[in-house]
Amino acid sequence: MAHRKARERDMLDSVYSMLALVFILVACVELCDAATVVDVYRLIQYDISGVPFGSRLASLNHHAGSLHFSPGADLSRTVVMIPVRELNISFVTEYVSRKHPLGGMLFLLPEIFRLENGGGGKDVREKEVVKNVLLELEKLLVHAKLPYPVYFAFENDEIDAVLDDVKKNDATGQPATATTGGLVDNSVIENAGYFVSYVYPLECELYKLVIPIAEPKKVASPTITNIQGWLQGLKADGDANQLPTIAIVASYDTFGAAPALSVGSDSNGSGVVALLEVARLFSLLYSNPKTRGRYNILFGLTSGGPYNYNGTHKWLRSFDQRLRESIDYAICLNSVGSWNNELWIHVSKPPENAYIKQIFEGFTNVAEELGFKVGLKHKKINISNPRVAWEHEQFSRLRVTAATLSELSAAPELLESTGGLLDSRHFVDETSFIRSVQLVAESLARHIYGYQGKNIQIFADNSSLAVNPSYIRSWLDLLSQTPRVAPFISKNDPFIMALKKELADHTDEVIMQHEVLDGMFTFYDSTKASLNIYQVASVTFDLLLLLVLGSYLIVLFSFLVITTRGLDDLISLFRRPPSRKVEVSQEKLANDNYECVMV
Amino acid sequence: MTVFHFFNCAILTFGPHAVYYSATPLSEYDTLGTSVKAALVYLGTALVKLVCLATFLKVSETDNFDPYQELLKALIGFIDVAGLYFALTQLTHRNISQNHKFQAVGLGWAFADSVLHRLAPLWVGARGLEFTWDYLLQGLEANANLVLSISLAALGSLMWLRKNKPKTLIPIIYACAGIVATMPSITSYLRRGLGWQFPKVVGFELFTSLVMAFISWQLFSACQRPSA
Repeated sequence: MAHRKARERDMLDSVYSMLALVFILVACVELCDAATVVDVYRLIQYDISGVPFGSRLASLNHHAGSLHFSPGADLSRTVVMIPVRELNISFVTEYVSRKHPLGGMLFLLPEIFRLENGGGGKDVREKEVVKNVLLELEKLLVHAKLPYPVYFAFENDEIDAVLDDVKKNDATGQPATATTGGLVDNSVIENAGYFVSYVYPLECELYKLVIPIAEPKKVASPTITNIQGWLQGLKADGDANQLPTIAIVASYDTFGAAPALSVGSDSNGSGVVALLEVARLFSLLYSNPKTRGRYNILFGLTSGGPYNYNGTHKWLRSFDQRLRESIDYAICLNSVGSWNNELWIHVSKPPENAYIKQIFEGFTNVAEELGFKVGLKHKKINISNPRVAWEHEQFSRLRVTAATLSELSAAPELLESTGGLLDSRHFVDETSFIRSVQLVAESLARHIYGYQGKNIQIFADNSSLAVNPSYIRSWLDLLSQTPRVAPFISKNDPFIMALKKELADHTDEVIMQHEVLDGMFTFYDSTKASLNIYQVASVTFDLLLLLVLGSYLIVLFSFLVITTRGLDDLISLFRRPPSRKVEVSQEKLANDNYECVMV
Repeated sequence: MTVFHFFNCAILTFGPHAVYYSATPLSEYDTLGTSVKAALVYLGTALVKLVCLATFLKVSETDNFDPYQELLKALIGFIDVAGLYFALTQLTHRNISQNHKFQAVGLGWAFADSVLHRLAPLWVGARGLEFTWDYLLQGLEANANLVLSISLAALGSLMWLRKNKPKTLIPIIYACAGIVATMPSITSYLRRGLGWQFPKVVGFELFTSLVMAFISWQLFSACQRPSA
């Protein structure tokens, strides 16, 4: 007997453990069934010499709001959704500069800015409208310190629907609080507040924006990678002297408000593509000993451009003295893809300098033939100022003659014109870009082969040496889809490998140089995330629902008691609770008797 | 939504069963055993139904309403009636009047149905952050189902347990029982054949359940009168 009991207990125990297991499994099921999931791109977070800038938070869990909120409303727990199309820059300026508390900001960029959306042309007017606003916005955000998360997303049907609902809600919430004028006494204000908090959540169209993401961490020792390649010139027999070198340089990395969206098609994607095309053209010439020039050509793709050309600085330092002295001059290419009818050559030596004169005249002659103008801008270097505005200034600091070809007429400030939000494929004009490539290649060739001042077209259209528009287009497309903020590109990033391979196809002795970005800048990760949009009901709604359900059950109970046992029974239930048991049992007895009679 | 919302939905889904048990004389006569047995019978029936559905039904790729398949489904649905018959006639209970027996069986039946079909979706879905009306509507559907189950049990007890009933009422009883038993097929037709939205379907279910409850109540009292 005892034996059997023990076995039963064993069985019961196993059943209990099974049940426990099932419950644990069930409790673990936590489904993430958001109505909408959207890719979002975080505002950059960085420090300059320990001073914090950008958005300082990443994780988000707040209700959505729109710009149509009632004045004076508390937005510290609200994510304001702002379509850039309707952006009022003064609102953002006010919020940023006065440091008002906010739950977060979500900027909605027009669909046309999407990276995969390469096809330009359409909605030109819309682009122009958005352009100025976006420029101002980016400048504001990059140089501010925002103690809340700031994200960018692209508009689509789903997010537009959410925004419409949020706007509607905010609009209906407005009249209720609009009554809170100065004349009304406090109780009215309180009532209005109650009205808002009770009535408005009941619409059940509250949205909660959730980005579950860990705190952003510092990017430990960000690396920058420079890539260089050589085209060796032809040495005359018995000539012991080293051949002179011409350097073509372009910086390829970008910086912008949203690192994951900073593709920099023009700054400096256009420079990179121009460099690759020039390398391709000269590799054709240099592959044949008859057309091989008496100059070495050095191609350099440098990183760290937005940070005072830190990569260029390190690259030049790594050269030995003889090589540095052999450089005749260097041409830096910077933003050459979207100009109208004038390009600029920026130099830091006075224009009277013989070398500068020679370079400038070479470029002007070719430009005239191509039908546009090239201007010369001279800006002295201040050695004590750490700011390096142009790439050629790094060369000039080491006494190497250099010039920058750019469409920008004035030197940009730190972290400006570095390929931000606005610098997408749409704003690159292919025809003018091809003309700048022609200008660079032609002037170089005339210098190398000694045809200065003569009207001989080496890279004439329709010849086998013509500039190849489809090559340019495909590289421009690739660059316009690849965010290239240096701290977030690893050493072996596929993009860097692709650049290296392409340069290796056209030049010899391709070397990659990895350096650490100098200590002034610190960057934080989490540049990209997924935003979950939930439609939620407020706690007030749940409380009300509980009340409704409770009263429903009470009514049901009363109804059932009345229909099956009669009203008196229900009343007696409440009237004399202590004696209830006796009464009930008596009633039961009576009922039993009745039933017996029935049967 | 939160655990709070889950709690609310659970109250709506399972509350009425508890209230029904405690408010009616069922609690006084301690008919819980009968309800539990009925629930067990429901479990068995559901298992048999599952096996039949898996054996005879093709998996439809689309969500269309296929009359032949639906007819088959309705036929398999009648296994429920067989289960109910078993619960009402074959299970021997302690001395319990017919009046209470069918209520206890219907209650156990509906409760088992709610637990089996609605608890898991509720647990998984209503605790999520996203708010939908679906789980509240599902709770209302559970209420309608409770009323329908008790009506069906009442009609079943009239058909199988009561011997002396007026001859004229017999066809009406059978017709009503048929309608109540085919209710799942009718709602499935409304939802998929006519493309009704979930709130509309639930409204229809609530309405018909009340109508059927009223009719079966009238029939029940009509049958009771001559014997009394």
